[in-house]
Amino acid sequence: MSTRVELTGNRAEPADPRRRVRHRHVVVVAVVALGVLLVGVLWGLSLGSQPIPWSTVLRALFAGDSPDEVIVRVVRMPRVLLATLVGANLAVSGALMQGVTANPLAAPDIMGVNSGAAVVVVAVTTMIPALAGAPSVLLAFVGAAAAGITVMVLAGMGAGRVSPVRLTLAGVTASTLLVSLTQVLVIFRENDAQRVLFWLVGGVNFANWNAVTTVLPWTVLGLAAAMALARAMNLLALGEDMARGLGQNVERTRAVGAAVVIVLSGASVAVAGPIAFVGLIVPHIVRRFVGSSYAVVLPLCVILGAALTVFADIASRFVNPPYEVPSGVVSALIGAPIFIYLARRQKAAL
Amino acid sequence: MTANVAPARPVGTTSTAARNPRVLIGGMAGLAVVASVVSLAIGATPIPMSQVFAALVGDRGSEAANIVLDFQLPRVLLCWLVGIGLAVSGGVMQGVVRNPLAAPDIIGVTKGAGVAGMTLSLLFPTLSAALVPPVAFAGGLVGAGLVYLFAYRRGASPVRLALVGIAVSAVFESVIRFLLTKYPLDVNSSLIWLTGSLFGRSMNSVALAAPWILVLVPIVLILARRLDVLGLGDDMAAGLGEPVERTRRILLLLGVALASACVAVSGTIGFVGLIAPHIARRLVGGRNLTSLLAASVVGVLLMLVADTIGRGIAAPLEIPAGLVTAVIGGPYFLYLLVKLGK
Repeated sequence: MSTRVELTGNRAEPADPRRRVRHRHVVVVAVVALGVLLVGVLWGLSLGSQPIPWSTVLRALFAGDSPDEVIVRVVRMPRVLLATLVGANLAVSGALMQGVTANPLAAPDIMGVNSGAAVVVVAVTTMIPALAGAPSVLLAFVGAAAAGITVMVLAGMGAGRVSPVRLTLAGVTASTLLVSLTQVLVIFRENDAQRVLFWLVGGVNFANWNAVTTVLPWTVLGLAAAMALARAMNLLALGEDMARGLGQNVERTRAVGAAVVIVLSGASVAVAGPIAFVGLIVPHIVRRFVGSSYAVVLPLCVILGAALTVFADIASRFVNPPYEVPSGVVSALIGAPIFIYLARRQKAAL
Repeated sequence: MTANVAPARPVGTTSTAARNPRVLIGGMAGLAVVASVVSLAIGATPIPMSQVFAALVGDRGSEAANIVLDFQLPRVLLCWLVGIGLAVSGGVMQGVVRNPLAAPDIIGVTKGAGVAGMTLSLLFPTLSAALVPPVAFAGGLVGAGLVYLFAYRRGASPVRLALVGIAVSAVFESVIRFLLTKYPLDVNSSLIWLTGSLFGRSMNSVALAAPWILVLVPIVLILARRLDVLGLGDDMAAGLGEPVERTRRILLLLGVALASACVAVSGTIGFVGLIAPHIARRLVGGRNLTSLLAASVVGVLLMLVADTIGRGIAAPLEIPAGLVTAVIGGPYFLYLLVKLGK
């Protein structure tokens, strides 16, 4: 734990991020993280209104048609899988976003990307019946892109580096606005209100195989693109000028990074609603352990983001049995203290 | 409906009026009265003006008059109380912490009060409703205390307050959502706590909030001069014989109490406390007494517009006033942010 938190784009410490990687350290962290994720997955599969022993769970993964085994495969597996996919998506898009905006407080939920995706999905499916058949993932992409770009422009991103505080305040206000609009739409559809309100908190409570197959291709595509970007993101983290001097097309890296963010977080919102704080905090936790090279940060974000969401989902079932609390509530409870810690580290300036 | 969209209009009035705060505040107050009467007529069942007036002078003879007196009038009165309470609370907080971004909803008071009030009404439904405001006050204090505590680091800088306020509010909002899933209320009362609404409020709510607002607001106005002195800076104020810390604490407590009383009857209505003082300062500037008076009228107009739009735009569906204030206030806040950054 002697590694310092390395905030991406922090120009006060322009050391080459790749040097900070300690390989043995990374392997240990990765193995532990994978172990945690695995425990979470098995636990999530065994947990429910009817507890199913792990042995049955393991058997059910491959075969069997006893009621328990069917429950595991049809109800619980998609839920756990969806949590892993969504968590990985959000964490990786948080890491990319923090790099692209050179801003440690950036994240898809903070910058209004998630609520932008949500409002368009709800708006189109409730207000424009003609488009109701449109794939919600594509709608979410449109909303995510529009909201993200608007917030960046409002916060003054066009004029170069923008203060984390301004970006956060602009993003959170835009989010509030968009969430309010979404809730207005919900009121017009009273029949679904409870369900949509639940979805709006974010969570995987309504998971099914359909949702998994919806998000999976985008996750694979987005994560692959993110990994391919790792080197470019490392250069960008050295500072815009340095990156340019080393021959990087900074604008293109930023644009591609932003596009990947939109694909990853838009797809997550489409299937699980706008889950808060995962995208913000996981990259910071990962950097704290393994330094700031994107080549190791991004893969570990996949694992830890998945683990955090799986455990948040598990916790959401423990808080108030037999009812389920949306896992977005749990992630906010975990995430807010970490956000406060990060905010306290900020140099205070608007 | 046009009369209700009017708070934007004074901005464009002639410079003579803008230079004379009395004319401006009086004009806006007149506008608020007109808007109130119009608001009485708008709702699930539109009511002709003649019957509104008949009801107001005490004619209980018709169905329409009963609607006006039993359903619309309490809401309009609450718009006044809550608008004044939130705006004065926001104005005081911005003055005390010398932070343009301070407001009851930013520094955790609104959501804290919301959680406390909601917990009380869910867990102890048999207790007297008169307990809700003091309990909400305690919740608001806890919220503000937590934000201040976490933001404090050699002084509580404005931006750290805002950032920490966001996080603390997010936690409180999660708790509210958790309570909503644990104790599924009907959708409407859920929305009151979650988003702020005056739906279904009766004269009981008016009676609940009125003493708080009617007592605390005059106290704040009397103390407005000391707020002016604080505005000179701590050293200067202390030099002028002002017990700086004590005054600051008293004023903050008053601000928290005002906002909490509002939350107790209307749920968590956002942005009014934040933007009404800003609009007021732009309109009348000057000393705190003037700008607080102007802010309360702006607050009333904002609440009236928000509640009337929410009630009228999709009748019989009811859009919570808090959502409308967010849709109006959000863009204004973003505009402020862009301007502050320059």
